[in-house]
Amino acid sequence: MLPWLLLLVPIPALLAPTPALAGPGIPKTHGVAPNLLSRYTPSSKSTWKCLDGSKEIAWSAVNDDYCDCLDGSDEPGTGACPGTSFYCKNEGHIGTSIPATRVNDGLCEVECCDGSDEKSGVCPNLCKEIGDAYRQKLEEENKLRRKGSKIRSSYISFAKKEKKRLEESITSTLAEISVREKEVARLQDIVDRTESLSAAALEHKKQSPLYTSLLAHHEALTHLRSLHAASLAREAELGNILDGLRRGYNPNYQDMAVLEAVRGWEGVKGLKHIYDEGGLKDGEEGGEGEVKEGEVKVAEGEEERDEETMEKELDMLLDVDHVSLLLEHERHVNAPVEESILFDITSYLPDTLIPQYLTVKESIVSLLQKVGVVRGAVDGSSSDASRTRELLSAAQHSLKLTTEEKDKAEEDLKDLFDERWFGKEGEWKKLDKVCLEKDTGDYTYEVCLFEEARQKPNSGGQTFSLGKFHSWNEDAEPGTPAYYSKQHYRQGTKCWNGPNRSVVFLLTCGLENEILSVVELEKCEYQLTGTSPALCLPVGEGTTGVGTGGMKTAKEEL
Amino acid sequence: MRLSSLSGVLLLLTCLPSALALKAGDFKTCAQSGFCRRGRALAERANANAGAWTSPYSVDPSTLVIAPHEAQFTAGVKSSLYPDIKFGLDVRVHKDGVVRVRMDEVGGLRKRYDEAASWALIQQPEISSEIRWTAGKKDVRAVYGRKKEFEVVITFEPLRVTLLRNGKEQVVLNGQGLLHMEHFRTKEETPATAQVEGGEEGEQVVIKAENPRAWFEGESEDAYWDETFLSWTDSKPKGPESLSLDINFPNHGHVYGIPQRATHLDLPTTTGENPTFTDPYRLYNADVFEYLASSPMSLYGSIPLMHAHSPDSTVAIFNAIASETWIDVSHPTRSSTNTQWVSESGILDVFILPGPTPSDVFAQYATLTGAAPLPAHWALGYHQCRWNYVSTDDVRSVQKRFDEEDIPVDVFWLDIEYAEEHKYFIWDRKNFPDPVDMMKDVEAVGRKMVVIVDPHLKRSSNYPVYQEASELNVLVKPKNGEGEYEGWCWSGSSSWVDFFNPNSWDWWKGLFKTTVRDDGKFSWLDSTENVHVWNDMNEPSIFNGPEITMPKDSIHYGGWEHRDVHNINGMLFHNLTSQAVSTRSDPPKRPFVLTRSFYAGSQRFGAMWTGDNLGTWDHMAVGIYMVLANGVAGMTFAGSDVGGFFGNPEPEMLVRWYQVGAFNPFFRAHAHLDTKRREPFLLDEPYKSIVRDILRLRYSMLPVWYTAFHEGSLTGVPVLRPHYVMFPQDEAGFSIDDQYFVGSSGLLVKPVVQKGVTETSVYLPEDQVGIALVYYNYFTNYIYTGSAKGKNVTVPSALHQTPLLIRGGSIVSTRERPRRSSPLMKYDPFTLRVALDKSGNAKGDLYLDDGETYDYQQGNYIWREFVAGKNGKKGVKISSKDLGIAGRAGNEFEMSMESVRVEKIVVVGLGGKPTSVKLEAGGKELEWTYEPGVAADGKKEGEGSVLVIKDPGVGVGIDWVVVVS
Repeated sequence: MLPWLLLLVPIPALLAPTPALAGPGIPKTHGVAPNLLSRYTPSSKSTWKCLDGSKEIAWSAVNDDYCDCLDGSDEPGTGACPGTSFYCKNEGHIGTSIPATRVNDGLCEVECCDGSDEKSGVCPNLCKEIGDAYRQKLEEENKLRRKGSKIRSSYISFAKKEKKRLEESITSTLAEISVREKEVARLQDIVDRTESLSAAALEHKKQSPLYTSLLAHHEALTHLRSLHAASLAREAELGNILDGLRRGYNPNYQDMAVLEAVRGWEGVKGLKHIYDEGGLKDGEEGGEGEVKEGEVKVAEGEEERDEETMEKELDMLLDVDHVSLLLEHERHVNAPVEESILFDITSYLPDTLIPQYLTVKESIVSLLQKVGVVRGAVDGSSSDASRTRELLSAAQHSLKLTTEEKDKAEEDLKDLFDERWFGKEGEWKKLDKVCLEKDTGDYTYEVCLFEEARQKPNSGGQTFSLGKFHSWNEDAEPGTPAYYSKQHYRQGTKCWNGPNRSVVFLLTCGLENEILSVVELEKCEYQLTGTSPALCLPVGEGTTGVGTGGMKTAKEEL
Repeated sequence: MRLSSLSGVLLLLTCLPSALALKAGDFKTCAQSGFCRRGRALAERANANAGAWTSPYSVDPSTLVIAPHEAQFTAGVKSSLYPDIKFGLDVRVHKDGVVRVRMDEVGGLRKRYDEAASWALIQQPEISSEIRWTAGKKDVRAVYGRKKEFEVVITFEPLRVTLLRNGKEQVVLNGQGLLHMEHFRTKEETPATAQVEGGEEGEQVVIKAENPRAWFEGESEDAYWDETFLSWTDSKPKGPESLSLDINFPNHGHVYGIPQRATHLDLPTTTGENPTFTDPYRLYNADVFEYLASSPMSLYGSIPLMHAHSPDSTVAIFNAIASETWIDVSHPTRSSTNTQWVSESGILDVFILPGPTPSDVFAQYATLTGAAPLPAHWALGYHQCRWNYVSTDDVRSVQKRFDEEDIPVDVFWLDIEYAEEHKYFIWDRKNFPDPVDMMKDVEAVGRKMVVIVDPHLKRSSNYPVYQEASELNVLVKPKNGEGEYEGWCWSGSSSWVDFFNPNSWDWWKGLFKTTVRDDGKFSWLDSTENVHVWNDMNEPSIFNGPEITMPKDSIHYGGWEHRDVHNINGMLFHNLTSQAVSTRSDPPKRPFVLTRSFYAGSQRFGAMWTGDNLGTWDHMAVGIYMVLANGVAGMTFAGSDVGGFFGNPEPEMLVRWYQVGAFNPFFRAHAHLDTKRREPFLLDEPYKSIVRDILRLRYSMLPVWYTAFHEGSLTGVPVLRPHYVMFPQDEAGFSIDDQYFVGSSGLLVKPVVQKGVTETSVYLPEDQVGIALVYYNYFTNYIYTGSAKGKNVTVPSALHQTPLLIRGGSIVSTRERPRRSSPLMKYDPFTLRVALDKSGNAKGDLYLDDGETYDYQQGNYIWREFVAGKNGKKGVKISSKDLGIAGRAGNEFEMSMESVRVEKIVVVGLGGKPTSVKLEAGGKELEWTYEPGVAADGKKEGEGSVLVIKDPGVGVGIDWVVVVS
């Protein structure tokens, strides 16, 4: 975690510094950053002006371990002025600045490998060792990046292929759309014409009490269904809350309200009491009552299937085209009780013969009508109209699907190289909806990238959504490596006594797409760390390469 | 830390707009406590018959035995109510004039608990061999004091104890005739004519026929033999044994002390005309969930010490009793106070501290129970806590963020979640796989860790600590006296070590060793000597117990019931842990052990905090009063959780809370599991920088705090000093508890505890000496001139400003170089701030040592007095001299600090520009600058003149004189 701490050499710290009182021996430019060196020269009168120009002091007062200047510039090398910084040359390694608070505090700062932050003799010069270690680490990181960036380029080529595929898909769907549009227009034209003929009649039929009642039923059913859905959602929410209460409450028996709520819920769900004696002995807190819970799940499963059937039936009921139904109804009511075989003969004919049959039928029927054997032309036309309507509706549906397909492809194409989605080079596209898992013992955490994060209890029980993909790092400039070092998943299942669950997923360059750690730093707010080759920029690209993208400074790389 | 789920449940079930609520019904009121009802009823009968009321207790003069060589006598006492029952009285005058009055039943059916004082006292007090008792016909009396100003009189009939000073009554015991020691009796089987079940709260009342004692005891035997509260029944096998005593202060109009509760320092009334509170103050250590910011209710700790104060005298009462106690306070007149103390069990053992000044009272109390010892220096730094830092890596990254932001911190804390299944000492390896490495990472920057160890032991076969305690048979027993008491706490089914059992002591101390134990028992190998300890939940808190604590009929060592020892229970746990932490290293080091529960004497074992406060402005304010009250009662190393334990304080509140915390002796930020993280580095600007500056201010003033603790360790005077302590004759200050002084540094602070404040009115006290009526703003050197009658001034206090003044006449030593932690400041130079008084004088002292060992007891320390005085008409002479015991010169510590210098001397309030500034020795002219401004001896207010002397080139540990001409 903190390699620089581990590297701390045995600290002569807290041993008395060697020189007595203010050592006059400190060079005037000790601790001065290279860009300011030129300003640390005495005037001809052996005076010196504070860098902010506020004060002129004796040249001897520079680095005399006493803060004279308001801006603290007279003490670059002693730490006497709070809020200033100290420059370590670190010859053999990389020069760096440290805060004045760390100068002459008895600790050898690893950032200051030349030991210049402490009085001489306190800290050894470790720049060679630290520099070597740094370069070795850098080399390892570069190696990792080189390997990782190869995988990353395969992601990029995937994105390119994907782009091509999408573009082709768009082209072909566009062609298909134009065909389908024509078809829709043609059918629409027919329907319009037939319907304009029968419009008045249809209007009249729509006055039928049965039809109006049907509409009312439909409306009531729709409403009921949405109410039902809302109450199911609320029930699930309350169930989650109570599950959370049951698992999370303190076994504070003196609070009867909590205990009653838990016991009541266990009663409803048929669960064993979570803190039943024996269950807690020798720490088996997690698993009690799970078997039974499983059994309940089965019962619930049956219920769910019923629910599913009902949903399907409802869907069908609500999707019915009422006008067609009305016409169908008309036809049905007006048909003779024993349907003439003539009218139903199509059911017995092979499909190939139907067109001929229809032609024949048409002429026979019209003949019969003329003769007066068979009644009513209106019925015939209404039945045709209804069939055409069905064809139209089917054609419209296919058009809609194709258009949607096209829109989706266009959308995907847009996201593909959108900085805010799959990156400028589309390097993340390959990982779209890829699910990573991490087993932490009690739970398995799952992140389906760009989709949703979940927490799945290993010993059975409810899976919680930890949130849907919300954004990349909001604190960083889109497109920068730092931007892609963090993903937010938000608005997961609400905690019963806390916020909606959420995830911050911290990513660094690595050869695998994987979750490394999971930690709940605050209630219901999870911090995950992980790696992905998509973050491995080719060596030489990006600010500092590996790591949480550009946030690190040289000293942390040590 | 406490019940995490309750607030949420309340929210869920009742849809309260706020999730914060006290469940007052979990705790008894006086009306729900049998003996308290009896005690209050007794007072009511006495009040109703005020003219005709006489105490039935009297001394039998024929039994008086006066010790020949010391100031002690014994005598028999009888009660006219029960002529057959015998009581014994024992009165002593200690060497320092403290009077101890003891009374117990003699030859009774059972024995009353008489060991409370032995746990509280640091040693058996020395009885005066000079003071003599003189027996008369009606009384026995002793006169003492340098001017024979004190007289203590024990009147025989009725029994009455009076302490007088210069003929004026100071303290009177049984002056109202409310003394009543219920003797042990056997339960009579159904003598009752009628039994009434009832009373709303399940009180049980038995009415007897024609009771000749009814005028005193009442008609009924109210809750004598058992008592039910909510779902718990207290079996009370010993029957009634309560003790009532009235203690009056006929010439003192203010009383302080008897912590801990959330109310003002100057205790409001609970009885008499228009009382502020209607229930008596209660002393019964209790884990009160989301306690109210103003209430007479008992909290986590109890110290039965009360100061009574008037402009010409301060006295105190220490009532050494460990059972549940209720205290009624009233002021019959503005300048008098009556109190009644009703306790459930135990002997009468009252110490009367004669004063007559606040510092005398502190010294007398310290002689009895000990002063708070010098703490480890690092313990005065900033403590960062949270329930919970969830892993070793979490701790590392919190430390990293502090360092990246250059915000100082000394200690990282771990709450209960580090422990696997809350089995304390046992790390949850999943999240804390490398605890010792984590500690070493923290130590690398000079820091420490504090890890929690609670008293509830999980009853689990794979928990060695429980197993060993069980094998040693040192666990508290249930009411039948057999087996192990079992209750519920964080760890589920748990048992509690009975620290009254001496067999538990060495075993417990051994647990904290970081090396393998010879006896093969458990020791904490996964820790280092830089890990210190937090003892929480030691009231004890028991989730399924009556009033969230242990049933009173549980059995402790020696067969005593829990009711007899309840208020001491938490102190013993703290005591033993403190000894354990100190003695695990060789040579021993100063331990840091934080406790939530405490009793008289707990100050010897470590710090306390005010428990689970709420993140509200009210709680921020009352936290200050509570810390002051705890200090008055000896627990001076005290603080309240910065930010509030519950809730998510807005940034403004958090900043103000840091300002409060920076001026608390114990400075810790803590937060509940359900709260958002709020470490200072998470704040946005400007809040982050403001908090960094506050923390740096605290660190710069560590020399002031350490010196104040050092003084307190010698004198018993608290580190935070309320006005009545500093200015005992200034009546306007007697009720002030929102501003206070830090040690004897001269620093006066009034933290802002309200929203949206930009300026604050600060009271400048009347000064009896009449020379120091000038105060300086610490940050701007603005001079405020006081007035002989006391005066309020307006001090700027925008969010980044804390109203902090230096009293003219003080010299304050600071270290102005910010560091990451306090040990890294060890060799940093000092700045002296000389704030002149009107006559051009000032002084202050500075104490330093290695900060963690006991080497200072061998003279290894630096203790300087800095004095500024007139040099000629306008000049000033500033000198440094040794205050330590002679013969220490050149001690090891002093030598090790040779290189540490005074880098700067700032003199504010000079009358004019000096002509020269020289070191007296050698006459070397020093560099200096002078900003003209208002002088201390003038009448004007405004920015004071400032003389800055650069690097006088003197070490902090040596004698020197700087002459300003």
